[in-house]
Amino acid sequence: MTERPGARDGSRRTRRRFLAATGTASAAALAGCSGFLGGDGGDGGDGGDGPGGDSLDDFRGSGANVGGRGEISGTRMDDLPDLSGQLNIYLGGGEGGLYTDLLSLLSDRYPEFNPNHRLEPSAQLASKISEEESGDGSFADVFWAVDAGSLASVASQGYTRALPDDVVSPVPEQFRPDDAWVGVAGRARAVPYNTNQLSESDIPDTVRQFPDTSALQGAMGWAPSYSSFQAFVTAMRLLRGDQATRQWLTSMQDAGVSSYNNEFLVSNAVADGEIAAGFANHYYALRVKAARPDAPIDLAFTSGDAGALVNVSGAEVLRGTEKVDLAENFIAHLLTVEAQEFFATRTFAYPMISGVPPVGGLPRIDELSPPDVDLSRLSDVEGTIDVLRDAGAL
Amino acid sequence: MSAGEGLSAVRRRLRREAEGDGLGLTLLSGAIAAAVLSPVAWLFLRVVDIPATEALSLLTAPSTTRVLTNSVLLVTAVTAASVLLGVPLAVLTVRTDLPARRFFTVVLALPLVVPSYIGAFAFVSAFGPRGALADVLAPLGIERLPEIYGLPGATLVLTLYIYPYVFLTTRAALLSLDASLVEAARTLGEGRLGAFRQVTFPRIVPGIAAGGLLVALYTLSDFGTPAIMQVDVFTSYIYVAYNGFAADQAALLSLQLLGVTTVILALESRIGQDDASAYASGGGGAATRIRLGAWRWVAALACLAVTAVALVLPVAVLLLWLFRGGPGYAGGGFPFELAFAVNSVGVSAAAALVSVVLAVPVGYVAARRSSLPARLAERATYVGYAVPGVVLGLALVFFGVKFAPALYQTLPLLVFAYVVRFLPQAVGTASSSVLQVDRQLLEAARALGESPGRAFRRVTLPLIWPGVLAGAALVFLTTMKELPATLLLRPTGFETLVSYIWQVQEAGYYGLAAVPALTLIAVSALSMAVILAQERR
Repeated sequence: MTERPGARDGSRRTRRRFLAATGTASAAALAGCSGFLGGDGGDGGDGGDGPGGDSLDDFRGSGANVGGRGEISGTRMDDLPDLSGQLNIYLGGGEGGLYTDLLSLLSDRYPEFNPNHRLEPSAQLASKISEEESGDGSFADVFWAVDAGSLASVASQGYTRALPDDVVSPVPEQFRPDDAWVGVAGRARAVPYNTNQLSESDIPDTVRQFPDTSALQGAMGWAPSYSSFQAFVTAMRLLRGDQATRQWLTSMQDAGVSSYNNEFLVSNAVADGEIAAGFANHYYALRVKAARPDAPIDLAFTSGDAGALVNVSGAEVLRGTEKVDLAENFIAHLLTVEAQEFFATRTFAYPMISGVPPVGGLPRIDELSPPDVDLSRLSDVEGTIDVLRDAGAL
Repeated sequence: MSAGEGLSAVRRRLRREAEGDGLGLTLLSGAIAAAVLSPVAWLFLRVVDIPATEALSLLTAPSTTRVLTNSVLLVTAVTAASVLLGVPLAVLTVRTDLPARRFFTVVLALPLVVPSYIGAFAFVSAFGPRGALADVLAPLGIERLPEIYGLPGATLVLTLYIYPYVFLTTRAALLSLDASLVEAARTLGEGRLGAFRQVTFPRIVPGIAAGGLLVALYTLSDFGTPAIMQVDVFTSYIYVAYNGFAADQAALLSLQLLGVTTVILALESRIGQDDASAYASGGGGAATRIRLGAWRWVAALACLAVTAVALVLPVAVLLLWLFRGGPGYAGGGFPFELAFAVNSVGVSAAAALVSVVLAVPVGYVAARRSSLPARLAERATYVGYAVPGVVLGLALVFFGVKFAPALYQTLPLLVFAYVVRFLPQAVGTASSSVLQVDRQLLEAARALGESPGRAFRRVTLPLIWPGVLAGAALVFLTTMKELPATLLLRPTGFETLVSYIWQVQEAGYYGLAAVPALTLIAVSALSMAVILAQERR
């Protein structure tokens, strides 16, 4: 990735710890702002709007985490053909719920466009597409899931169409391994920690060291039934093998770890001091911070291991669709500056195009050190579940 | 029919006819049972792909055994606790001079309308490690509350929201109890306790068992509450496999779950064999009330305590969310529409109607015939109640796309899914109502020249109507709460109260869940009023 204008000096220094800085810097931006995601438009934009800036404001979020947006660039919606017609979208749940706002914005912009979306958990939709295909073909034109595993599971069974190069080319190859699907927003694995109980230096640089770290004994939390955690374990299996992964899961439990239902709850529990640190996707801590700017929570990132995995939500076109052009154009729209700005500022995700930076003090995606894992192999959740069960974590 | 035909001749002819009708009705009942069992076939279709050794190792893996043990423990504990809570409360509200009995009858039944996942969430927000109670107690120097997560916590929460099944069935049994029997026992020198043990208790056991069965099967199939209370049970195990793209594993584990269900059904049918009544109530003279003396105020306090935890607490937490916003985001998301409530009521009413139409023949045959096929058909309708909703939903996705694509993602298939899940609640009420109809009335009608069909309409139906309506109301309010099959099978764009609640909670907009959840509770409370209005005093 190229160096962007506007990147702050010392951003390298903030790689592992950033939320505290963001919180104070944007205290003023928060004043008078009711509800982080409530506003229509940006108080965060301070440049880089250029042509079409008014339209960009519709897509941009506001609030404590969103301030000082730098120069942004890339394909704009005006550069693409209009969306028109009805499109059946299977939309993965979770933060996918936030994506319905983007669909509404698109329908507002294109009166002829009718996105007919159905929201269910991503993995459930992947199973559903399999059942539909073993029956008489899927009812969906596009599958937009919040994890690569669900996308890859459908693609590996041959139920998708390859995406054209001009749609996917703005996205780095690691987020579109075989062009069956393309990432539209990234999420990094991270370690949220309570700043009253721990300092940044207490968090080891690799997850392998966690069970032996004295500050973390009996003080960690995780969500083993949660799909993002399972993707992290899948990545660990790919990197270190089942045996080492099982061993790590067992050691973590010996060290004392509390289980939660999902990673938003893990991050909330960290902010509440119920646990000192946990495993979660990066954006949950930002959500906690957005709701409670004073919460004593910050993020640390590990380096080069499964704990630093960057997973994506992404989209694919199903093989049976009769609306190939519309489906591909829709996915192209998800990769425009406007949509990427939406993902960055409203869901705190990592944008997939280099011209749009992540919010606030988040390390940029090229400053993270993710492991070398083929995201399309994250669909082997079945093997991960076996390992989690063997280790007694599920 | 000739006017001179004697009553005994009518009886003989009726018996002959009954055998003929019996065959037709038994066949009809069997067909209904087969229809609601059909989705189970999908489980076998998925399982045959698994190599036998792999299947065996999954079924006997230590983790499988562990969650199966957890599930059995949870089912046993919740059923026992529901009986221990529901039966005394039923006796208090029916047979004693408890103050404000009508009020308590209604509020003690109402926790059933609170979806247990909302109840569990409310419970954790109130009593969790950092919940409201902890906040209140913190200034007093109390740092840690007793652990609420785990098996005991899950038992407590589930019991609080589903004991009303036992409460309602036991009440109905008590109300239909012939008071003269109790009087007779008392005349013969038995004390109150002795009379209860000797006369009352044996007659309400089938009612208690019918309620216990619904509690046990509900507990077995519930996913939400154990997940929130951090207990690994069989359904969450199935759910995890299902979410890991291992539909075949999920199917295999579901079959194992059905094995447990079969055991529970067999156990209950031994207890409820000669059931006099379930939750439909018959006549019977009013028994004299037991005078509690000063204890009546203690009893009232106990009833108030149950109401406070099981009903006031979740409503209060929802109101708190409404005014303060919940954890997570404050604004944004999708606005609530009244249409969601209308949709919920529409599909629930349809499910209730279809269930009742199917339940009457099944219940009638089960009550009137003691043949094995008749009993089996009735038992078979309970199976769907214990299949986890996601598994049932996926089965219907497969069958829908394969055999009825025109119905897939339409309301009829969704309603069918509800019927498969909730039919037993209507079958139970129907069959116990039929049992209470005096056969001599029917014979009299036939002797007076009515055809079998007309005799059913003019004599049986009016007599069983209250029970049938009560069954409809139970199906209605459980359908209102149903989430997994609703998500999988609803028509695209068709949102109900629960699908909306799920969406906003998933996206972290907890505050937005308050209005639909309160609406859900209010609407379901109305259907509970229908159930209670059917109780004859």
